[in-house]
Amino acid sequence: METSTLIIQALHGLVYGMLLFLVASGMTLVFGMMDILNIAHAAFYMLGAYVGYTVLMATGNFWLALFVAPVVVGFLGALVERFFLRKVHKYGHAFELLITFGVFFVITEAVKWIWGDFPRPMEVPPALSGSIHLLGFQYPVYRFFILIISFIVLAGLLYVFLKTRLGIRIRAAVSDAQMVDALGVNVPRLFLGVFSGGSALAGLAGVVAGPFLSTYPAMGLDMLVDTFVVVVVGGFGSLPGALVASLMIGELQSFGILFIPRLALVFQFLLMAVVLIIRPAGLFGEKV
Amino acid sequence: MRRFTVLQVALAILLAAVLLAAPRILTIVQTRMLTEIIYFSLFAVSFNLLFANAGLLSFGHAAYFGLGAYVTAISLKHVAGMPFFAAILLGALAGTVGGIVIGFFCVRRKGSYFALLTLAFNQFLWAIAWKWREVTGGDDGIGGIVPKKPVDLGIVSVDFNNVTNKYYLILIIVVLCLAVGWYLMRTPFGNTVMAVKGNDERASFLGYNVNRSKLLIFSLAACFAGIAGSLFALFQDFVAPSAISMAMSTEVLFMAFLGGTGSFFGPILGAAIFVYFTDWISSITDRWEFILGLLFIALVLYFHQGFIGLIPSRLKSLFAIGENR
Repeated sequence: METSTLIIQALHGLVYGMLLFLVASGMTLVFGMMDILNIAHAAFYMLGAYVGYTVLMATGNFWLALFVAPVVVGFLGALVERFFLRKVHKYGHAFELLITFGVFFVITEAVKWIWGDFPRPMEVPPALSGSIHLLGFQYPVYRFFILIISFIVLAGLLYVFLKTRLGIRIRAAVSDAQMVDALGVNVPRLFLGVFSGGSALAGLAGVVAGPFLSTYPAMGLDMLVDTFVVVVVGGFGSLPGALVASLMIGELQSFGILFIPRLALVFQFLLMAVVLIIRPAGLFGEKV
Repeated sequence: MRRFTVLQVALAILLAAVLLAAPRILTIVQTRMLTEIIYFSLFAVSFNLLFANAGLLSFGHAAYFGLGAYVTAISLKHVAGMPFFAAILLGALAGTVGGIVIGFFCVRRKGSYFALLTLAFNQFLWAIAWKWREVTGGDDGIGGIVPKKPVDLGIVSVDFNNVTNKYYLILIIVVLCLAVGWYLMRTPFGNTVMAVKGNDERASFLGYNVNRSKLLIFSLAACFAGIAGSLFALFQDFVAPSAISMAMSTEVLFMAFLGGTGSFFGPILGAAIFVYFTDWISSITDRWEFILGLLFIALVLYFHQGFIGLIPSRLKSLFAIGENR
């Protein structure tokens, strides 16, 4: 096999891995901060793609879509937190999980209802179409764009959590919500913001994925399973874990398709099983 | 063991009489629906064995249902002279083995982690069913499972192309399974499982092997789900990846929560309501799944006990034999 094929395949893996990270980061964030596994996250991702599609069709402006979709989805996330999640919190984990599952189901069905039960191909915006020369071969610009967006989000998250006052408050609220509340911070509003922010990240990931993976009704479920594997392999609530696991799965699938195409669908599960045997808490998970 | 009152025994006899007479009274379409309710009842109860008794919320319960369905279908289709009951037993075995293997990974985790892992394994099996065309037929599925000629079962011969015959066979198997499950939950094993649900740390200090009890109840639930899947395959005479899909896992969640997870018999009521409700609502609107989702959210928000919670408590004490303690 030629070296250039290998490099391209590795790049493909990197791009898919970073996209996966973009989706998984919001989910990991919400889980790490609020201890809620948000299944609706995958539906938010899908909704982001469809809202982006509609904005793109209406205005022809991809950048506007890239802005509108996260705002819409983030707002919806805030509503879900305020009116559903907060109400079932007192009943415990199972009901929090069930309500996000219900939201996932309803959004998926609503999307099929509104946009139809068939794919809506999203075109790559003119500014990002075409390909560039790299070490003697061609590579699509849009894939680099996915990489760049994901890196910006990663850097932004790290900056917010490590360097800003907001980040300090959120981290403090995670370790002792009562104390932080007593110190005059509005903890429920903080959590509302975290959930809304996590949802907005899903919406952003959806728009970015639209022109790359196409926009279709099962895209939420497809992504849900991959992000679950990322979260399990990386360790719950761990951002570095999510990054490493996303890249591992991206590369694994990319080379899996190249070498054993028939088994490509199950590689991530095999990885998950292996990691669970060796480290049940995930690669970066803290405790079993 | 508690004693049964005269009224409870009378009620049980009445119920048995109604179920036995049903195919003589009902039309073929209604009998088909009732049969569907009966095997889904077993599936929903098996889900609730995990959720209500062990506190384990599975999002991938269709994995074992699908395993049972596929193994029964494949063995009847490809193994010449496959005895009929052996095919059902193989389905049960497939569910159990799947439960042991997947349970091994899952029961060590709690809450959300558990739910998520079960879903991931479910999707893994679904991907295999979808891709392994030579064995599973891919998305075309496997059809023509049931023998065309009546099957001789020693005492009676059963024609599987006859709805009434199918109804009775499925009814007998499901009632037997439900009785076994109900009894097991009242043995020391059932008590251990309840202790583990209550507080697994304390249970482990008391000397119970927490993970082993969880694995046992997981495998039992998987076994029942496998049998339900096996019966599903025989009834439909067809298996496709939808039997092992997340949609199937979702449906069983709906059934259990509709009926009420607080009692052993709640999910049976749920299965009945689910089958009738989906049949009715899908005749009104194409977007019935959307309505179903809204209903589910409303259930989780306001209506935890499910429909069995609507039965007045005086009447409910009649059914108290089914209460999860």
